[in-house]
Amino acid sequence: MTTRDLVLAALFAAIIVALGLVPPIMLGFIPVPITAQSLGVMLAGVILGAKRGGFAVLLVLLLVAIGLPVLSGGRGGLATFASPTAGYLVGWFFAAVVTGYCSERFVDRSQSGLVQITGFFLAALLGGVVVDHALGILYLAYVTGTGLSTAFIGDLSFVPGDVLKAMISALAGRAVMVGYPLLPQRA
Amino acid sequence: MKTLYVEGDTFLHRLSPRTKLLGLAALSLVLFLVHSPAVLSVAAMLGGIVCASLRLGWRQSWLRLRPILLTIVIVALFTLVLNGRHDALIVATRLTALALFAAAVTATTSTGDFIDEITRLAMPLERLGVVKAADIGLSIGLVIRFVPEILSRYQAIRDAHRARGLKPRPLTLAVPLIILTLKNADDIAAAIDARGIRAQK
Repeated sequence: MTTRDLVLAALFAAIIVALGLVPPIMLGFIPVPITAQSLGVMLAGVILGAKRGGFAVLLVLLLVAIGLPVLSGGRGGLATFASPTAGYLVGWFFAAVVTGYCSERFVDRSQSGLVQITGFFLAALLGGVVVDHALGILYLAYVTGTGLSTAFIGDLSFVPGDVLKAMISALAGRAVMVGYPLLPQRA
Repeated sequence: MKTLYVEGDTFLHRLSPRTKLLGLAALSLVLFLVHSPAVLSVAAMLGGIVCASLRLGWRQSWLRLRPILLTIVIVALFTLVLNGRHDALIVATRLTALALFAAAVTATTSTGDFIDEITRLAMPLERLGVVKAADIGLSIGLVIRFVPEILSRYQAIRDAHRARGLKPRPLTLAVPLIILTLKNADDIAAAIDARGIRAQK
């Protein structure tokens, strides 16, 4: 990893931490406040790609583990990993890596805007929703012993919000790609 | 940013970070293998005693543990409805014990000690060529250094929206914030290299 890659990952980790400190933003068309940290995870993959995005999220998790209150609502410390919802938290890393890998694969600078946005959306959906929720559900079902189907039903209420975040991160990812392209290109 | 570490000189403070982390990992394994509510309640009570021995004060302890205890209560209630009393009791006592012990380790280990320990643990990875161990401490320092700056930048972008009579929207806030922040990366990387902080050995 070059020094620039290291700095980019660290700066993005700082952005994810900062997104947990700003007050939740209300979306115009749906009366649901968006807590922005899981949005930051998808953005890390979409904007930085698999390697640097994954490292950025790993840094955030490391900060949580060493006892800094960097998660939204001032949560932090090793106890966070003992919570029944820890699967979602650890899943962030895999979400960023999968989102980043798919973004590198699906999106190309020569494509038209609509194709790029669709590619980013699918990447964020796969990583941030499918992978993260799958890990979250697995751990929740394991810890509580309630079985996968009940954990899945409980999880469903969070899916619409995260699909929306995937949409926002796709639009933001495309805007950043136009303004300041960073995503590594994979042939 | 204030850490969750508390100054003190208790037995747990004096233990090495490695012992505490390994102990916590071993304990979590044991807790998941035990299925007796009686043993698990004793473990939870022990965790409570350990936390109380750190003399955090009731208010502080409550503020720290509230988010996690709330999740545990919700999950336990679900289990109660779906699987009955026995399972709910196991889930609640097991997770409470784990959360209490983990909180105790966090409260007694300073950020610096943790970074040193992580750097040492990453040494085998360095030999494999995956990551340079010293980079971990450097990046953690970078993150802590830049969070306040990003927050003030966020405020500036929001104020710019207000001044122009625009409604702040996630997209129009996030995109300039990200581009402005990441554009600094070249300068910061140049500064780090100029000081020879990541000197090649």
